[in-house]
Amino acid sequence: MSVSSGRKITQILGAELDKLVTLPLIWLTLIGTFILNLVLAAAFTSAGLQGAAGTQSILNIGLASMGYLQAGFIILGILATCSEYTGGQIRTTLTTIPWRGFQLSMKHLALAIITIPVAFIIVASGVLYALIMMRDTAVGFEIDTMIKTLVGATGYLTLTTLLSAAIGALLRRTTPALVILLGYYFVVSPLTRDFQPKYFPDTAGSYMYMPPSSDEINVLTPMQGTGILMLWTLIFITAAIVFYRKRDA
Amino acid sequence: MRAFNAELSKLFSLPGIWLAFLIGAFAPAVFTALDSIAEKEEIIAGVSTRLSEVGYIGLSFGVQGVIILGVLAVSSEYLTESSESGGGQQITTSLTVVPSRLHFLLAKAGAVTVISILLCIVAIMTTVSATHLILGEYAPAFEWSRLIGAVCYWTFTALLAFGITVLTKNGIIPLAVLMINSSVVSFSVLLSKITKLAFYLPDRAGLDMFMFTSDKFHTPSTGGLVMFAWVAVFFIVAAIVFHRRDVAS
Amino acid sequence: MLTINNLVKHRGTQEILSGISFKARPGRVTGFLGPNGAGKSSTLRILLGLDRATSGSALINGKRFAELHHPLATIGAALDGFGAHRMRTGRAHLRWIARAAGLSRSRVEEVLEIVGLTNAAGKRFGNYSLGMGRRLGMAAALLGDPKILVLDEPVNGLDPQGIRWIRTFLRERAASGNTVLLSSHLMGELAETVDDVVIINRGKIVADGTLEEVIGNHSTLEEAFFALTSENAGDVI
Repeated sequence: MSVSSGRKITQILGAELDKLVTLPLIWLTLIGTFILNLVLAAAFTSAGLQGAAGTQSILNIGLASMGYLQAGFIILGILATCSEYTGGQIRTTLTTIPWRGFQLSMKHLALAIITIPVAFIIVASGVLYALIMMRDTAVGFEIDTMIKTLVGATGYLTLTTLLSAAIGALLRRTTPALVILLGYYFVVSPLTRDFQPKYFPDTAGSYMYMPPSSDEINVLTPMQGTGILMLWTLIFITAAIVFYRKRDA
Repeated sequence: MRAFNAELSKLFSLPGIWLAFLIGAFAPAVFTALDSIAEKEEIIAGVSTRLSEVGYIGLSFGVQGVIILGVLAVSSEYLTESSESGGGQQITTSLTVVPSRLHFLLAKAGAVTVISILLCIVAIMTTVSATHLILGEYAPAFEWSRLIGAVCYWTFTALLAFGITVLTKNGIIPLAVLMINSSVVSFSVLLSKITKLAFYLPDRAGLDMFMFTSDKFHTPSTGGLVMFAWVAVFFIVAAIVFHRRDVAS
Repeated sequence: MLTINNLVKHRGTQEILSGISFKARPGRVTGFLGPNGAGKSSTLRILLGLDRATSGSALINGKRFAELHHPLATIGAALDGFGAHRMRTGRAHLRWIARAAGLSRSRVEEVLEIVGLTNAAGKRFGNYSLGMGRRLGMAAALLGDPKILVLDEPVNGLDPQGIRWIRTFLRERAASGNTVLLSSHLMGELAETVDDVVIINRGKIVADGTLEEVIGNHSTLEEAFFALTSENAGDVI
């Protein structure tokens, strides 16, 4: 690694950002996720209104779609890294930026830069919708709880995106990466929730935005949840970088 | 017939297909085993309310395997992710070998159908053995009519995945939507809480062929018919679109 | 100056390259020839840091590719295949490369002009023809105005004007003191372009010298090529 200047960092980061924003699939995914989230928020809100009115908090209903929402961000992460392997673009990338570990780290950073604002907007829009629709019936809430929850949800989605990107980089193929991640997040994990410890990425991460409930024992604090999910993400990114450096492109 | 054989050999030579086989053949048995272990005491005590679901619940989730099959059968024609291939699409070759597009589509759908049926039979065998292994004499009897319902559900789902992927040409969207929808956090379950119309969605209707749960809406045969109607509609639309569009676009 | 020194590459149990050495010198166009699967692409991939050598080295001005400070300004490469994502436009593809190397956007327009793609730059790469794809690859290689060019099958898929353009373009580059290494199967085309020839067969160098030296007593480069490569095949069997 013969890179020291900050100028090079901004150049490569800029290139990675360019790559992400010029990929139409990324935009389609983000727009699709945004629309889907509003539809789901509408569905949950209307289910909430039909149900015991006034007893549910707006935050709970606004965030009920998180379970689905993460699918969009998983796809985003996978697309970001697996798109390198479409049409052999990886060769251009590596002949332009031969410092592999550096390049992959910058890609994750670029992805985080795009994901954070988008995730926040999407999450906030869902909560806002619930807020507008239910302002008459729902119980009140505190503004700082809401901000904390929104930040937690944004963090959760961003870390999940980075985790998916790392797994995409490890597997290099969109379909297996998608099957494994969706299979884990949507099938295996919900079905084995009673058996598994709280330290898996999705369960631990969910404490970042879930309102603390008193009926569960051994719950994690939002900070602990963040730490564990961050650790998982870093482990996978490190593994991805190690393999990326070792193997033939 | 030759086109059909060609499609079979194309499918078997896809690396991703083995993931589909693995999930389709063994995931139901694993879920069933976990479920049986969790329920074992209640079942032996004779107080389980879910005895009629044991085994079938595994089959309803194992449908993921044939979703992958249906999607890959089509998306592999369009997508190349090898670093050596310069964006070549197999579909061009396929359509010069089998010039009639309808024949091509029928042959492919035929291959998907046959593999789905075989895969479901294997899944049923592994699932039934798993319940017998764990529950012994308490294992519920499996009725033929329900098992046939499960086979139909798998086949229809595979064909649905197939039809949708012909329309999108890209495997990511159908894979994500269908995989999530056949999981515990299914969209259609959510929608069915809001409107009764959701029971006419393909997966809700199809599940009634073999899942005798409390929120059952259709009889097995009407459920099957509703799902078949969806499959037919998607297939006809897919055939028309496929017939009209330029291959390269 | 490109220096390939005793390069060995194993893939699984197969030996792709068994100790090859040659040089590509400044001011000359070096042709790198060999049948399909002889190890041309593997050599170029190792040179560009895409694959790892089992042993030996491939150096660019005495350095490994990953040690270069400005890879794009040192060596430009257009490998077989396209190296671009189908869904991106040609211009967007060049722009991210330029961004990574700290080059200006006007340079992107310049290279598009050089390879004659200005009108097609807004189209998605997936809709490009083979020849247009090759031109985009050339544009990417030229972006940093490098002293060394490595081109794998540059004339493949080009129309007659394109082939002539490549030929004169490469001659000009070499005449102004640059290093050019190109691989090709087209003997007639190559014989009109190159100064030096390296022939590889089954992972071994079977000939290395100036065009005249390699042709030797044979009537054409093509004759020499077949004599050298089939001779070698006879040895192995």
